[in-house]
Amino acid sequence: MNFAITGVQAVDPLALAPAIATLVTIVVLVLVDAVAPATARLRRVHDVVALAGLGVSGAFVAVLGVAATGRDLGPVAGAAVRSTVCVAGQGKLVLPSCSFVVSPLTLTLQAVVVVGAVVCLLLAVDGPGARDRSVHHLLLLATVTGALVLAGSRDLATLVVAFETASLPVIGLVALRRDAQGAQGAVTLLLTAVASLGLLLVGVAMLLLATGSLHLDRIAAAVGDPTLPDSVRVVAVAGTLLAVAGIAFKLSVVPFHLWTPDTYAGAPLPVAAFLSVVSKAAGLAAVVVLLGVGLPALGDAWSPAVAVLAALTLTVGNLVALRQTVAVRLLAWSTVAQAGWVVLPLGAVASGAPGDARQAVAAAVGYLVAYGVASLLAFSVVVLLARHHPAGEDHTLEAYRGLARREPVAAGALGFALLCLAGLPPGLVGLVAKVVAVRPLVDAGVWWLAVVAAANVALGVAYYLRWTALLVVRPTATPPTWRVRPAEGIALGMSLALCVAFSVLPQVVAGLIPTALR
Amino acid sequence: MSTFLDSLGGWLLVVLVAAPLLAAAVLLAVGDRVRDRAAAETGTAVAAGTLLVAALAAVGAAPYDRPGTGLSVDVAWIPALGVRFHLGLDGLGAPLVLLTALLTLLVCWHLVRVRPVAGRVRGLVACILTVESGALATFTAQDLLLFFVAFEVVLVPMWFVVALWGDDTQAPRVGEPSTPLPGGERARRDAANRFVLYTALGSAVMLLGLVLVALRTGTTDLAALAYAGGAGMSTTTQTIAATLIVFGLAVKAPMFPLHTWLPPAHTIAPTAGSVLLAGVLLKMGTYGLVRVAVPVVPDGVRAIAPFLGALGVAGILWGGLACLVERDLKRLVAFSSVAHMGFVLLGVASMTPQGLQGALFANVAHGLITGLLFLVVGALKDRRHTADLEGLGSGLRDRLPRLGWLLAFGAVAGLGLPGLAGFWGELLAIVGAWNGEGALGPLARPLAVLAAFGTALAAAYLLRVLFLVWHGPNGRSAGPAGPAALFAPVTVGDATTHEVAVAAPLVVATVVLGLLPWLLLDVTAPIVRVLLAGVGS
Repeated sequence: MNFAITGVQAVDPLALAPAIATLVTIVVLVLVDAVAPATARLRRVHDVVALAGLGVSGAFVAVLGVAATGRDLGPVAGAAVRSTVCVAGQGKLVLPSCSFVVSPLTLTLQAVVVVGAVVCLLLAVDGPGARDRSVHHLLLLATVTGALVLAGSRDLATLVVAFETASLPVIGLVALRRDAQGAQGAVTLLLTAVASLGLLLVGVAMLLLATGSLHLDRIAAAVGDPTLPDSVRVVAVAGTLLAVAGIAFKLSVVPFHLWTPDTYAGAPLPVAAFLSVVSKAAGLAAVVVLLGVGLPALGDAWSPAVAVLAALTLTVGNLVALRQTVAVRLLAWSTVAQAGWVVLPLGAVASGAPGDARQAVAAAVGYLVAYGVASLLAFSVVVLLARHHPAGEDHTLEAYRGLARREPVAAGALGFALLCLAGLPPGLVGLVAKVVAVRPLVDAGVWWLAVVAAANVALGVAYYLRWTALLVVRPTATPPTWRVRPAEGIALGMSLALCVAFSVLPQVVAGLIPTALR
Repeated sequence: MSTFLDSLGGWLLVVLVAAPLLAAAVLLAVGDRVRDRAAAETGTAVAAGTLLVAALAAVGAAPYDRPGTGLSVDVAWIPALGVRFHLGLDGLGAPLVLLTALLTLLVCWHLVRVRPVAGRVRGLVACILTVESGALATFTAQDLLLFFVAFEVVLVPMWFVVALWGDDTQAPRVGEPSTPLPGGERARRDAANRFVLYTALGSAVMLLGLVLVALRTGTTDLAALAYAGGAGMSTTTQTIAATLIVFGLAVKAPMFPLHTWLPPAHTIAPTAGSVLLAGVLLKMGTYGLVRVAVPVVPDGVRAIAPFLGALGVAGILWGGLACLVERDLKRLVAFSSVAHMGFVLLGVASMTPQGLQGALFANVAHGLITGLLFLVVGALKDRRHTADLEGLGSGLRDRLPRLGWLLAFGAVAGLGLPGLAGFWGELLAIVGAWNGEGALGPLARPLAVLAAFGTALAAAYLLRVLFLVWHGPNGRSAGPAGPAALFAPVTVGDATTHEVAVAAPLVVATVVLGLLPWLLLDVTAPIVRVLLAGVGS
């Protein structure tokens, strides 16, 4: 069912349906806001519209996922993915090159984005930023739209535009706290985003210069060509590294992480959760699409660089997290360290063997899934607690002392989330994700990085357990009266259910992207 | 009987692993309404049931002739990594499964009458049962990564046991009344952290080795790996894998110089924690060496065997020398564990049938004897709030005869008196090392001689303990004296009937295994032959 308009490439609406759903929701929200501003009486309308939009988007991802799995059982495994906005093949490339592809990779990343967005929206609807709900929902949906398109983008222009769509609205979200600290967090993020945009654009331009194409499959063919002159190859490598540097801030990879602690502490907590899951998923999407789909042939150039970044990120994030006492700052530094785990497998693609990039990307995305559910669960509890205790910089870990005696369910959920992040049983999803993440390194024999990762397991255990321990000791102060709002309860329940389900069936994390990267 | 067990099949093992875990979850879920005594009694009942299931499974798994057979359950779990939920009981795991179930039962029963110094009993029992479940899963896991997961399960509950129920109300030593009181939350936390960080680092390094084996051989099935005997892996790969795996297990075992987590953890832990640490957790390390190192990467282990053996002997001597000057009885027992586990490491490193048999025997014997010693020292500490050799005073033989005789029995069993369980394992380990030129090379004979010297050290330090505490005039009053009087004793007087009853099974088992060692040797012999088949000679 392709609509062909003269002069415009054919568009398959079903392939783009998840992103179209959120776009339509944005329009509806604007209309609703014009007709019925978010006053006290009608405020739920905005929440319901935004949630429904995300729900429809998620349903489309699920439908496409079922279709993709069904088709993969066919004779040509993985070949029958949906693609759209294609140009006809030319020269050596007989197949058409497409700007948007719905593959297992795309769908997995989209699923992470939608689930993360739903939980963060649920956490936000009753939170302190609720008076700005229409703005908040619009910005959140715009980011989600960008991230959804980014996951499927297969040309450099779409990638850059989608990446910026997924980045710039977040700055507005951070500023929603409307105080000095919120403004500072937003400005830090803005400056980082703008500087990174420059790097990304220069990098993309150099790639275009070196290969003469915007489409990633053509770029892959061009840089994979053994007759590529060294002078051209140098330009391509430099462009790759600059582009990675431009994307890295979104993942909070050291040394592009400096905005993270201030912004997390300055943003409303649900927005910090959004940054740590949805925004990070968008960053990883850009990295794996660019490096895994477009530039696997340059693996020997970018993989060692990513390896160094991963080692730095892990070590710096964990070492600084060891000394944090403010809950959200500890989460911010832990999210830096976790970013190291996410990109870790990409440090093992140097050999250039065809299966390597797929294995590494599958491992990175698998780790992202595990980290995402655990992080959502941790933030769900922190949002609840922050409402009953001094928020922001005063919300230290001491607020969690003895939580298990007053609120066993919340304490159990937080303890479980922290053990998932640490990778210790009963948090099996985290443990299996770590196995998945180090597998490519061991396979490729990148031993120095594997040993750095192993040492960082112990560092991470130290501070996650410190927090977990506080939950069960004797409380010192009398606890405030505790009330869970329905939306927060649903968010907590959703993320807890996902964490438990993935811990019982870690195959979900380990078995992603069974077919060739598209 | 046998057909009945066959029909139950491997699901007996699932019950074995799941029952303590479920009970722990229930105990945690019911909240603080449960009284301490009821919690301990529940734990005892569950542990007794688990021991019964373990005994049934051990009967059902006979004859112990091949690895991974007998009872087994095998379900796909993570197909993408080739990991299966595969539990099986064989001659390697059965003795340790029984030991774990027995020790858990005894410490739970101990808690019925003897409260820990700090904290509620409910949580402690839940942690103990979780540790039991993880240990039983470790000893029955037949899959490389399932073994790793089970190995990690015990970490968090054990950390809680040391950090929350630790015994830090230690009185200052006699003659140093001005010393500020040590301990508090900080000391407990330090000991617990050191334990968990060492072990987590070791496990992470071990994981790299396990993943390497899984990637290069394409299977994670332990029996298949044992039969393959390292086929498909080059000697270099095997050496890398063996180094990584042995490092991780050596932290847990513990091997000198990676043992420094052990003395504080054992000393601070409550009696139940010390018994489980010594009797169960250390065994997981040495069991791992015999299960996932020697048969899986035989050439690699052979390449590093001289280092393993030398460090094992260094542990024997270092632990012995430390015990000679240690003043705290609980720390002394902890250091003696380092020495005893040194014999186990030496036996494994010899890669001979006698050495491996000795290692497995010494493993069980150490669990029984050190478990007994920690029970006795814990009882002494309950009475005087100190385990200082001077603070305990002399003349225990006359003053507290029951505790005195239990201590004396534990000490002579620990120094390897022939006729008790401690003797056979260490003898076989030394004999194995003497014949172990194949793996230890020219070091074989010198290491055997030094290890034999280590047994003399053990005699020296344990006789010193007996001389200082057991023997001598009944000089001091039975009540607390000096700084120890600052604390009210948990218990007064000699060991109660309950305490003696808790210790009795350990005494009986030590005597029985000492007089009839083939009860255990016959169970492990066939499987040791299979495991060493890939080693050749």
